[in-house]
Amino acid sequence: MNHLPIGGLSAVAEAEKPTRRAQAKRLTREKIVAAAKSLFAERGYEASTIRAIAKTAGMSTGAVFASFTDKSDLFTEIAEAEQAELFQTMQLAAAGLSGRAAITAMLHAASERQAGEIALVRAVMSALWTPGLAERARRRLERRPVTTLIAAAVRQELPAVDSAEATFVAEMIWDGYLATLRRGALGGLTAAVVKARIDAGARTILAGVQPG
Amino acid sequence: MREARKQATRRRVLDAARELFEEVGYDSATIREIAGRAGVSVGSVFTGFRSKAHILSEVMQARLADLYGDLERVAPHLRGSTADRCRSMFAVHYAFEFRRLHLFLAYVAAGFDWRADPDLPTMGANPRLRGMVRDCLVEGVRRGDVRPDADIELVVDLLIGVYAWNYRQAAAKPVRPEQLTDRFDRQVGVIFAGLAPG
Repeated sequence: MNHLPIGGLSAVAEAEKPTRRAQAKRLTREKIVAAAKSLFAERGYEASTIRAIAKTAGMSTGAVFASFTDKSDLFTEIAEAEQAELFQTMQLAAAGLSGRAAITAMLHAASERQAGEIALVRAVMSALWTPGLAERARRRLERRPVTTLIAAAVRQELPAVDSAEATFVAEMIWDGYLATLRRGALGGLTAAVVKARIDAGARTILAGVQPG
Repeated sequence: MREARKQATRRRVLDAARELFEEVGYDSATIREIAGRAGVSVGSVFTGFRSKAHILSEVMQARLADLYGDLERVAPHLRGSTADRCRSMFAVHYAFEFRRLHLFLAYVAAGFDWRADPDLPTMGANPRLRGMVRDCLVEGVRRGDVRPDADIELVVDLLIGVYAWNYRQAAAKPVRPEQLTDRFDRQVGVIFAGLAPG
C-alpha cells in the first residue's frame, strides 16, 4: 500500500495527507451511521431528524450534510449495509448445502439475524412501504437481493424449473418468511416456533411448484 | 344532542383524514391540517382521538366495514375450486385497496411501527379477512381440495402474507391492480397444489 516515493520525508508527508483525511472522513461517516442506526431503531425513520442524529453523533448538522445528501440517503446506506450483511449471513449458512437444505439453512440464519435487530428491520420495512422513499431506496437495495440466493437453491431442488419461475418461487418463499417473521415479532412467538413455521411455509410452496 | 355533535365531529375528522392521507401521504399529514380540513379545532381532534395512528386505524376499520359487509354476503355463494374461491376473495381486496392505494400503503407501513400504543389494534392485522380465508380453507378440506392435516393457520398466514407483499411493487412504481391479481392467482395455484391431498 505505502509506496515510499523518492524525495524524502516531505514527499512521504504529502502522500499520507489525503490518506489521513480519507480516514477521518470515513470515521465521521461511521459515527453518523452508528448514531442514525440507533435512532432509527429507537424512534423510527420519520421521528429521527438530522439534527437529532447529529447531536447523538456529537457533531454539527453541517458535518452530517457534508457526508450525506439527506436523511433518506443516510437511511438507504444503513439499509443497504444491513442487506449486504444479511446476504452474506445467508450465503455462509448455505455453504456446502444445496436445494431444500440450503433454503432451510438460509431462512433459519436470516431469522436469527433479523430477530436480533427487529427494531431496525421494522424501520427498514416500514420505510420500504412508504412511496417516494421506497423508489430511491429500492434501486439501491435491489442490487443484491437475497431472493437470488434462494432462487439458485430452488433450481437445485427442482432442476426442471426455469430461472423466471425460480425467481417467482423464491420471492414467494421470502414473502412467506417475512410474513412469519412479522407475525412472530408481533405475536411474541419463540424462535423455535418461528423457524418451524418458516419451514412449513417453504415446504408447502416447494411442494406446489409444477415445472414446465 | 351533545353526543350527536361529538359523533358528527368524529365523522368529519375521519373523512378529512382519509382524504388527506390519500393526497399527501400519512407521514406528511399533520393533525393541524386534518383539523383545518375538517373545520374543527386541533383540540377537538385530540378529544376524539389519542394520536394520528388512532385516526389511521379507525379510517381503515371504517373502510373495511363496507368491504366486508359485501364480501361476507357474497362469500358463501362463490363458485369453483377452493383455490378459485380464494382468488375471488383476494381479487375483491386488490380492486378495493387500489381505489385508495396511498392510504393502504401507509397502513401497511404503520403496521411495522413497533412504537404504537398497545391498545391500538395491530395495523395490517385483519381478523375478518383471516376468518374468511380460514372458512374457505376448512371448506376446502371438507371438499377434498386441501389435505386434512394441513396447518390451516399457517396457510392463512402464507396467503395473506403473499397477498400483502405483492403491494410492495405498487410502493415502488405505478402498477395496475390486475398485475397484482395475476401474480397472486399464480401464487395461489402454487400454494394449493402444495396442499393437495397426497
